[in-house]
Amino acid sequence: MSDRKIRTDGSGATVTGRLRRNVEGLTLEDVGLYVALLLMAGFYLVPIESGLVTSIKTGTAILETAPFAPPGSAGFTLEKWQTAIDALVRGMGNSLLYAVPATVISAAVGSLTAYGLTIPDWKVSYKAPLLAIIISGIFIPYQAVLVPLTQFWSQWVQLVQHLSFVWALGVPDDYAGIIELVITHVAYGIPICTLLFRTYYKNLSEEMIESARLDGASLRRVYQRIVLPLSGPMFAVVLIYQFTQIWNDLLFTLVLVSTESSPAAPVVLILAGLGTSMEGQDFALRMAGAFFAALPTLAVYIFFGDEFAEGVAA
Amino acid sequence: MATLELDSVTKVFQDGNDEIRAVDGVSASIDDGEFIVVVGPSGCGKSTMLRMIAGLETITSGTISLADRVINDVKSQDRDIAMVFQSYALYPHMSVRENMSFGLEESTDLPDDQIQEMVSETGELLGISNLLDRKPTELSGGQQQRVALGRAIVRDPEVFLMDEPLSNLDAKLRAQMRTELQRLQDDLGVTTVYVTHDQTEAMTMGDRIVILNDGKLQQISTPLECYHEPANQFVADFLGEPSMNFFDVTLENGVLRGEAFEYPIDAETEADLGGTTDLVFGIRPEDIELTERANDAHDFETVVDVVEPMGDENTVYLQFAAAAGEDDDTLVATTDGFTRVTEDDTVVARIPEEAIHLFDRATGEALHNRSLEDDIEAVELD
Amino acid sequence: MLDFYRRLYHALSRSSRDEETARPDGGVVSDGSVTDSSASEPGPIERLSSAADRRFGSDFIESTPFWLPPFLLMALFVYGAIIWNLLISLTDYQGFANAPDYSNLDLDNYARALADPGFIDAAVNTFILLIAFTVATLAVGLVLAILVDRGIRFENTFRTIYLLPMSLSFVVTAQFWLWMYNFNNGIVNRIIGVFGVGPVSWLGNQGIVLWAIIFALMWQFSGYAMVVYLAGLRAIPTEHYEAAQVDGASTLKMYWRVIIPQLKGATISAAVVLMVFAMKAFDFLYSLVGGYRPPNGADILATKMVREAYANLNWAYGAAIAIVLFAMALSVIGPYLVYEYRRNNL
Repeated sequence: MSDRKIRTDGSGATVTGRLRRNVEGLTLEDVGLYVALLLMAGFYLVPIESGLVTSIKTGTAILETAPFAPPGSAGFTLEKWQTAIDALVRGMGNSLLYAVPATVISAAVGSLTAYGLTIPDWKVSYKAPLLAIIISGIFIPYQAVLVPLTQFWSQWVQLVQHLSFVWALGVPDDYAGIIELVITHVAYGIPICTLLFRTYYKNLSEEMIESARLDGASLRRVYQRIVLPLSGPMFAVVLIYQFTQIWNDLLFTLVLVSTESSPAAPVVLILAGLGTSMEGQDFALRMAGAFFAALPTLAVYIFFGDEFAEGVAA
Repeated sequence: MATLELDSVTKVFQDGNDEIRAVDGVSASIDDGEFIVVVGPSGCGKSTMLRMIAGLETITSGTISLADRVINDVKSQDRDIAMVFQSYALYPHMSVRENMSFGLEESTDLPDDQIQEMVSETGELLGISNLLDRKPTELSGGQQQRVALGRAIVRDPEVFLMDEPLSNLDAKLRAQMRTELQRLQDDLGVTTVYVTHDQTEAMTMGDRIVILNDGKLQQISTPLECYHEPANQFVADFLGEPSMNFFDVTLENGVLRGEAFEYPIDAETEADLGGTTDLVFGIRPEDIELTERANDAHDFETVVDVVEPMGDENTVYLQFAAAAGEDDDTLVATTDGFTRVTEDDTVVARIPEEAIHLFDRATGEALHNRSLEDDIEAVELD
Repeated sequence: MLDFYRRLYHALSRSSRDEETARPDGGVVSDGSVTDSSASEPGPIERLSSAADRRFGSDFIESTPFWLPPFLLMALFVYGAIIWNLLISLTDYQGFANAPDYSNLDLDNYARALADPGFIDAAVNTFILLIAFTVATLAVGLVLAILVDRGIRFENTFRTIYLLPMSLSFVVTAQFWLWMYNFNNGIVNRIIGVFGVGPVSWLGNQGIVLWAIIFALMWQFSGYAMVVYLAGLRAIPTEHYEAAQVDGASTLKMYWRVIIPQLKGATISAAVVLMVFAMKAFDFLYSLVGGYRPPNGADILATKMVREAYANLNWAYGAAIAIVLFAMALSVIGPYLVYEYRRNNL
């Protein structure tokens, strides 16, 4: 039960796949199939591969070699990576500073919300509209809340003033933007996290929950001792999905932190302007920067691909 | 441990604009320490009734009281009731020991060592001491069943509720657990409500059985009373395998006239009918005797249609010779396994008057049941 | 005395239960038992909570700590902000003023939008982006899903590759495509050069740039469509394939006539999510140029809204554009949510 998963990969499907192939038994079709698969793989990989080889080329190599060809030994340099890392490493730190707490908090809150709206016994005719209201929140274009959001943080809450004792310790007051980002991402992350956990909790055995209630456990204890320990697989999915979303988001950082020169600027904000300041565009630098900034999400994707697929498919 | 009282308990589900009365005005009084089996066809409301006692469903009207306290509004977690589910509902991430101690930890303030001691004792009682550190997924179905039982027993609750706990076991294990459960309940003396659709479990396990149909209480009596003195045609039909034979008959001048046969009855039987003339005639297959020759008016010439040998006995499908081809002409009888009858034989079926049941055709209510004076004792001695 | 209250309590609880069954729509009607029994024994809070439990279900009160605070936080940030935004769009808030002046509300900003050719262009572009991107992405995703579902070897590897761009930030993929579309050295121009076409200024030509962007976005999200379709395909029983084979249908015909019609649900949910992504394409366009002004011919409502508000400080006008964008989103997701609700999927 604890490793029950929504099936997105096809361990069970290979049997049916083989079956289907046996019915046809066409090798020519198989060849065509694999050619098509490889062509498509090329289509998805070429922009990434091209970016990677470009990032390690010297200026002349960029002009002289094909954009997808690796540089010769003469045209190889890590200089752009060095520059990109220098420019972005501060942003990486800042991004981690809000992405990690926001991810953890929104996953925890999503789990609690989904639990409260799925497991306890109260009328569906009241639960369903509440859920609909929450889940609609996934689809809101953020533009529709930006101006009030700016008003809210700059005029109503004014963290910069309230946290003056923190700035007195030598922390630049731009870091108020990081706190704003955490709270904002948590608030807008609740709908998707709730939806993801809900699909999982709906599949928990009802009799098991009832049994725990009859055993004398309150709702809080049922969550603590039964539901939470069984939520592990879904936490993996939600944490990975939410981390990728928050790390990759530009719009909120643009509005709440505003300038790439700020000491609190997240990596996406710096990257967006990287390599344009000089005359013309420095593509090698841009590519190096893009890869460096994408490292955390790429790592997450490569190590937890299945959970990621599950998250996006929900 | 306490008496459990149901007073015109009703549950209405809303389905769009339709009202579904899952349980309809059921009243029952269950004594302290009694083993009650609730039985009925699927959808009769028996599980809903159990879930209302557990507090897992709200009660639309009526009251449920435990030890003279109305518990309608008491939450399940505060009712001191333990339930064994059909799926066992074990906590998959906890070991057997943790599964069993969970309830005590949540519902009592007992210190840990005492809880562990109680768990160990219960484990011994059920013969699962060696499994205490395993996870539920590492157990067989029968072992999981025992753990589920142990989880309920260790709490020493006021009431045990069991929702078809044996239905996921194979036939052999089920028979074994049936006797074991009875023995346990006897030893522990905890009031138990046991829901099943299996009439063997109903007949063998309960002190009394509650028979439900369409949410309504049909009868609440000892198993043998329900079997031999059914309150109505539904109960008569529901209990017994193969089930009772029924024929529509009309009473005319002391004779029951059906499509296939005529059956004279004596004055004593007729007096029970209170003037009702549209009746249903019932006779259990095992009460029909097969003989060679017709001797009196209760002997009928029949043709053997099908014989189903079961080993210890045969189920014989007979057709009244006088009425071959009519709709209502098949009579099922059971004979012992050594009686030799073959298809197309002509045999005489004797339907003894002391074994017949008569029901009001309009209401299904039993007007006359078989007489028991001599043979109920014989049955009880078995 | 106590006994009297107990009886009163039962009488009241029974009446409210009858009410509950008599009202199949489950609408909220003020409950007489709350006010009538104000003199009864349990404290007002217990009475209120038991009345609430009876109305909403036995665990209602106990469950509120779990969902109510997050619900309120989310409602404030999402729905509260949208209403606030609507209010701001009715003011003439602009420039460096600290707060809008709510005393004089009118629809001027909406009138201004209709008269603004830039807004009309952006709205048209948004619409084109929405439709073309969604259709193209679904089509490619479906083809990928069918290819991957044919019992191939290395299925996981292929799936991982196809979904890879989805894990990247818009900011990152924008860099890649900027390079792909580069006039002199970009791969796209190299490839069409092989066929003697081009070079084309993909991002500089007003008539082409939007389609170039749609293509890049399609590259990023078709893996998502594939995952959704794959789940849909796996839900179709093998017998359907076999039955079609036995009936003598060609592979193509089998998919067209038997399989694809069964993917309606997957198509709808993928389409909704893709349209929402398309409306959020701001990040991509911003990163393409490193600023608020997207290439000529590729301005969409999402970029125009942010530009008006944060570059030009036309806060109220930006808010009005945001409301239009929100209305577009609502027209897509509203029917979708109703559809899901009817199928009991919520």
